[in-house]
Amino acid sequence: MADAEPTVDKKNKPDTIIQLIVFRLGEEEYGLRIEQVKEVTVTPEIARMPKTPPFVKGIANLRGDIIAIIDLEERFRLRPANEELPALSYTLAIEAKDYTIGIVVREVPQPLSVPVSIIEKAPEFIQDININDKYIEGIAKIDGRIIIVLDMLKLLTPTEIMQLQPR
Amino acid sequence: MKSREQEYREIYMAEALEAYDAMSRHISELERNPQDQDALNELFRLMHNLKSNSRAMGFNSIGEVAHHMETIFGLIRSKEKEFSGSLATVLFTGVDTIGAMIRAVGDDQDLPESTALLDNLDRLVRGEEPVLDGETADEDANRKLELSDLVYIQIKKLDHLLNLVGELIIDRDRILTLSQEIGNSALQSAAAHLFRITDELQYSVMDARLVNVGTLLNKFPRVVRDVASAEQKQVELTLSGQDIQIDRNILQIITDALLHLVRNAVSHGFETPAEREKAGKPVQGQLVLSAQTERDDVLIQVTDDGRGIDVESVRRKAVERGLVSKEAARLLDDSAVRAFLFEPGFSMAKEVTEISGRGVGLDVVKLAIDSLGGQLRVESVLGEGTTFTLVLPTSIAVKGALLFELDERSYAIPLMHTDSVVSLWPDDLHVVGGLLMAEVQGENVPVVSLRRLLHNGDGPLPPATRAEVVGRQDIIIVNYNNRKLGLIVDRFLRQQNIVIKPMSKPLDIIELFGGVTLLGSGQVCLVLDVPALTRLFLARRL
Repeated sequence: MADAEPTVDKKNKPDTIIQLIVFRLGEEEYGLRIEQVKEVTVTPEIARMPKTPPFVKGIANLRGDIIAIIDLEERFRLRPANEELPALSYTLAIEAKDYTIGIVVREVPQPLSVPVSIIEKAPEFIQDININDKYIEGIAKIDGRIIIVLDMLKLLTPTEIMQLQPR
Repeated sequence: MKSREQEYREIYMAEALEAYDAMSRHISELERNPQDQDALNELFRLMHNLKSNSRAMGFNSIGEVAHHMETIFGLIRSKEKEFSGSLATVLFTGVDTIGAMIRAVGDDQDLPESTALLDNLDRLVRGEEPVLDGETADEDANRKLELSDLVYIQIKKLDHLLNLVGELIIDRDRILTLSQEIGNSALQSAAAHLFRITDELQYSVMDARLVNVGTLLNKFPRVVRDVASAEQKQVELTLSGQDIQIDRNILQIITDALLHLVRNAVSHGFETPAEREKAGKPVQGQLVLSAQTERDDVLIQVTDDGRGIDVESVRRKAVERGLVSKEAARLLDDSAVRAFLFEPGFSMAKEVTEISGRGVGLDVVKLAIDSLGGQLRVESVLGEGTTFTLVLPTSIAVKGALLFELDERSYAIPLMHTDSVVSLWPDDLHVVGGLLMAEVQGENVPVVSLRRLLHNGDGPLPPATRAEVVGRQDIIIVNYNNRKLGLIVDRFLRQQNIVIKPMSKPLDIIELFGGVTLLGSGQVCLVLDVPALTRLFLARRL
């Protein structure tokens, strides 16, 4: 993936097209580079795991792999506390550094091709929302949409995920 | 099944043939470059090993040739001889003869004559010219190429194979369940066949991983000798059960633990010869390292006839360290008190170490055994000696487990840590000091609702009341480190052999779960880790 490396410094070169998987969390649209997404599936049955933070929905069997499923809306408080996930949701299996993890989303994620050059470094206002800017690779503006591109590898370090109650 | 002797012989053959191949390779290298020190050292080492192995197996004539060859290579190494001319010819003949002799052992034939070769080797040592009869050149022409009947395999590859079999079994169970739901008889019989085949496959793979406990135990005479002489003790070590078989990785994991126990026994367990004499004991201490099978488990015991563990000083220390209240400590029986020795950090108590001679790093031993789902027990009589018993599974792949239901989810608890299951009515339960207690088989066991233990944060558990207990209660009595604990669950399901998959990252830092397994229904089932559960209970009780 060396040719698809980020971003700002390549502005002057001929544009590389990258593929994003776009999904909705709360009111915003978020994107992930497609190479970080292993697969998209209807959320399998999740076994709740005691002694984990509430945004860790539990573990699920994804074709024989047992993976943790997390809810980023809950993690970043993008959803009113009393609102639950819909009965039918989707899971993005994300390839983190040395494990796979599932992220549950409410709507079917869509692929989207964008030129690298339209991804801009996150401006200040992004800090108003709850997602810490260090997870954000940049903001893509396309056809009036604003897509927040996340850097999953930073977001999904074990310490980030388990930062609460490591027991 | 082959006899032990047959198996040793096959292993000897495989190693000897491999050594012969390496010798042929290195001696050719040496011919090309007589200054090649690596090849020379390797040849010296190979000869030396072959000599010891052959003598141990009773093939003395091979040992004799290897011994003479080793001598010459030693002389070349110390620059007293040079690898050239007739010396090189004789050495080539020597390697060929060794090959012929090893093949003869493999074919159960008489070993070829080696007197002429030995004479020549002796002449070379004395600095005389060897007698060459010119026949040696023919050797190459009718040389046979041999392949060994044994293969060496990296344990990593066997691990991979075992993991795959584990996955296969999970899928098999799923298919079996589905075939019963679908009810097609052809599918059912195919599934039943699949069941038998995978069973056999699993046992074959497990069998391929088994090694003799002796491969580890046989290293201890040296350890005991070294520690005993450093500590100026007299210790006689007796080994037994070396041919008991166990999974190679389990043996690997307990290596340090066993080393620790043996060292501890020699340096702290035994009295000095003077003390022993005063106590009317034989000056020489007896240390026994034994292995035996008990049902599906392997028991490894380290027994000494040393000073034993002073239970009263351990009891005092446990109270001092706040592990137990003074009143409660008085009521604990000796084995419960000795269990404190395995508490993390308990070993740091210097006084106990000096008084009882025990406790240095026993928690580390305990952790190693826990990681295997095994048990560590200690029995001791003051003044007479101590026995540590390691209860180990034969294989790591499949574990017996008890399945139960809590909040409409299935959980499993390894049978290794399950004492019994009981169903009790509220009348059978009493509240003592904010804890529910039940009398199970004449013993008072604290009982806790597993739901409460797992949820509601990490704070102290709310005091238990009789009012919360309604109707019949299904209770699993678990046992860890001599500490019994009753867990109230919603419903017992069944006993089943499960394949435990390690918890995937990043959830593996939650020690409460030893892993997960997939049930035939495809449902994910968490496997509770009893040691961690017991620790959680102790941390949260009032």
